[in-house]
Amino acid sequence: MTIMETRKHGSAADGLVGGRLSRFEGDLKVTGAATYALEYPVDGLAHAVLVQSTIAAGTVVAVDASQALAVPGVLMVLTPEDDLGLMTASDWYGNRPENQPFLPLPREVTYNGQSIAAVVGESREQAIEAAKLVRVIYEEKPGIADIDDAKAGKGKLMDNLSVAWGDAEAAFAAAPVRVEAEYRTPREYHVAMEPHGLTAKWDGDQLTVWEPSQWTHGMQRNYAEWFGLPIENVRMISPFIGGGFGSKGVALPYGAVAAAAARKLGRPVKLAVTRPQNFTSYGGRAATRQTIALGATEDGVLQAIIHRGANETSTYTDYPEQTGAATPILYKVENFSSQSRVVPVNTVTPGALRGPGKNPSAFGIECAMEELAYKLGMDPLELRLKNYADHDYQSGKPWSTRQLREALTQGAEAFGWSRRSHEPRSMRDGRQLVGWGIGCGTFPVLRAPSAAMIRILANGRVEVVSGAIDMGQGTYTILAQTASEALGVPVDQIDVVLGDSRLPGSAIAGGSMLAGSITGAVHKTAAAARDELIGLALNDPNSPLRDTGANTLTVSNGRIASELGQGPALSLPELMAALGRTEIEVVRNTLPEDAQSLTDQNAAWSSMARVQGPTMGDYSMHSWCAHFAEVRVDEDFGTVRVSRIVSAFDCGRLYNPKMVESQWRGGIIMGIGQALFEEGLVDGRNGRTINNNVGDYLVPTNSDIPHIQVISVGVPDHQASALGGKGVGEVGIVGVAPAIANAVFHATGKRVRDLPLTLDKLL
Amino acid sequence: MTRTIQLTLDINGHSHELDVEPRVTLLDALREHLLLTGTKKGCDQGQCGACTCHVDGKRVLSCLTLAAQVEGRQITTIEGIAAENGDLHPVQAAFLEHDAFQCGYCTPGQIMSAVACIKEGHTGSDEEIREYMSGNLCRCGAYNSVVAAVREAAEAAR
Repeated sequence: MTIMETRKHGSAADGLVGGRLSRFEGDLKVTGAATYALEYPVDGLAHAVLVQSTIAAGTVVAVDASQALAVPGVLMVLTPEDDLGLMTASDWYGNRPENQPFLPLPREVTYNGQSIAAVVGESREQAIEAAKLVRVIYEEKPGIADIDDAKAGKGKLMDNLSVAWGDAEAAFAAAPVRVEAEYRTPREYHVAMEPHGLTAKWDGDQLTVWEPSQWTHGMQRNYAEWFGLPIENVRMISPFIGGGFGSKGVALPYGAVAAAAARKLGRPVKLAVTRPQNFTSYGGRAATRQTIALGATEDGVLQAIIHRGANETSTYTDYPEQTGAATPILYKVENFSSQSRVVPVNTVTPGALRGPGKNPSAFGIECAMEELAYKLGMDPLELRLKNYADHDYQSGKPWSTRQLREALTQGAEAFGWSRRSHEPRSMRDGRQLVGWGIGCGTFPVLRAPSAAMIRILANGRVEVVSGAIDMGQGTYTILAQTASEALGVPVDQIDVVLGDSRLPGSAIAGGSMLAGSITGAVHKTAAAARDELIGLALNDPNSPLRDTGANTLTVSNGRIASELGQGPALSLPELMAALGRTEIEVVRNTLPEDAQSLTDQNAAWSSMARVQGPTMGDYSMHSWCAHFAEVRVDEDFGTVRVSRIVSAFDCGRLYNPKMVESQWRGGIIMGIGQALFEEGLVDGRNGRTINNNVGDYLVPTNSDIPHIQVISVGVPDHQASALGGKGVGEVGIVGVAPAIANAVFHATGKRVRDLPLTLDKLL
Repeated sequence: MTRTIQLTLDINGHSHELDVEPRVTLLDALREHLLLTGTKKGCDQGQCGACTCHVDGKRVLSCLTLAAQVEGRQITTIEGIAAENGDLHPVQAAFLEHDAFQCGYCTPGQIMSAVACIKEGHTGSDEEIREYMSGNLCRCGAYNSVVAAVREAAEAAR
């Protein structure tokens, strides 16, 4: 068992891949010097404030802006009357509808909280005051508030998500032991600490956007297409992002409003989306419903899994939150059936939130497995091991690596699972009922081509340059480590420059695909830079290493020398001076040889077209985890506290365990929030999000969180990535909520299948 | 409202002249008018703690404080706690060592709260640290490391 003990940094290994180097950009963050999107000083700034709809559905008949325009300092009010001249942009995969106007302030209202007007003023205070004075006259239509609204219906079947093998219905009917239940998750929100917003500035037909971005090249393309500009005319700048969790991967309507206002006014515009407006300016995780039926033999061998899922979507886009995503791959089963539906309601289109699909999916299957264990009278750990999937039964392919058995057994050992008493309500501590539960999680390995640049400067410093971003995952840190190892240069001699669409393109920081993709590109580029350096040192007429007779040279600890010690050992500045070079610049990418044209490259960096899924090769590739949760439930009040968590992960090789452990814990903590607190509440009369602030939409505070022990059981997976890692960021949350729900059942004997696990459901 | 008022604010030991509307908050005065952007805006309604600063050594939420309220008082922000020579404050160093942040957006507020928490003497146990650091939300979930950093900095200060 490899328990990750916290270790002081300073070891010689810290600068290499796998070392526990402290956060590379950490000094900037602890001193307040890291500059986030809305913090760039721009001369002549005007401030825009959004006005959002107050009805669920209908038409804006008229907007009376006269009072708003009379407020001193107000420069402009944009309404649905204004033709902003924008065209709809491509979707994530690069598909674009032809000649379809884009209306970021539409006349047709499809949800409460939709932006329908914007006020621009000299100061933010003036714009806020004026925004309250904008009068909107609607023609209201009946709306569908949410998935539980009687008018919502059963929704549409998503045929592309139907999965089946064997004969699940027959096997279920024939199974001697059966469980079947419905599991429900509510709307959940990202609540990144940095609210969304941007500053947009035009210089002629050049647009600069400072906006938090999980994908600078993707959002660059988005703005370019809206405004009909060549892609290179747009620059997205985003070196620091105050959390994203899936919410900052695409440009959103408010961005178009700010950029259009800036163009109309002829001066830069800053638009800060308020915290309440963040709840409807983009979608959180959709509310989900799923029925799971499990059939098993009397000794606990799974015979059939039947899954029927549904999630809310908007009335204008079908967004599937795939509640059947984890169901087929966690266990060995010969008969399987899954179908998913989307239910249109009057909401903003839901979006990807940490562990999309897999997260609510695991809530279903992992609760159902424990329900089966109790029905069988079997230890839930034993049931999971008994039905261990030796390969991927969905694709039929072997796993690249799957250390889920190790995660279960080593997690159980660290947790002390063998001391568990099986019966519900059989463990207590005074008035506190104590319960233990397990939840497994998974997330697929996604990969995308990426590019990087290495610049070796005359002063010996090495720049690693990429348009990739760091929103806290540790991109700066692991790229410094990757370049240090591949080049043979100490990490303190390296600078990392990220977060700008003018830099080489990169995978999105989403779907846990960035680290594996961009370290591969940087490793390749750094190795090429090292080769170029060695080539110059061996062949350049001015190189002191030219006549040493060495066939090759090594670069180690920032010095270049022959392996046998012939000739001098030169530092990089010494070699660069001898060569008379001010810099050596090397750019490489991981696109195939036949896809290196500029068109191919632009498409690769700004769309998902070349993303590789988990089963596109010979193997089925995924990250895995097992969470062990202990809860204490107050017998009188029904309050639930999580008192202990042990989680074991297989994420392959860890590029920097210190950063990885932080991400794992972060995912687990978000999972605790999901289990106990988080729930978007909708007013059934008008579709309004009632708790649109962080005092009412509760996210975990420090005092809600116990010490969390995380364990790595992974092994390097070189099918999954160049350096052997699998995804880290998403998987941490997957399986946490069911582990806690299962622990609450063990503590209380009450099975709550409807998140969050609030006290009213336990009394 | 267009009337402005003249204010002199003492921030991090330096005097700053301001000509702002009376409704401007301390947070917006810092971020929009003085380019002291280390103090963060997470909610603008007193719920998240990202805007935590010190006024006369006590932690306050600068989004719920008008700039005009703090004239003549000593304001300290994240930019003002490191040593003159640039050495990190022990709490800043502990946050870096323990990886007590990821995205870094709540971090200035966490650190300003932590400095005050230690000064207040609310670091007797991990439970006490958790409770007195609970006004500062961290969505990345660095809470375990925040507790470890505050504990270590508090021990070093004893």
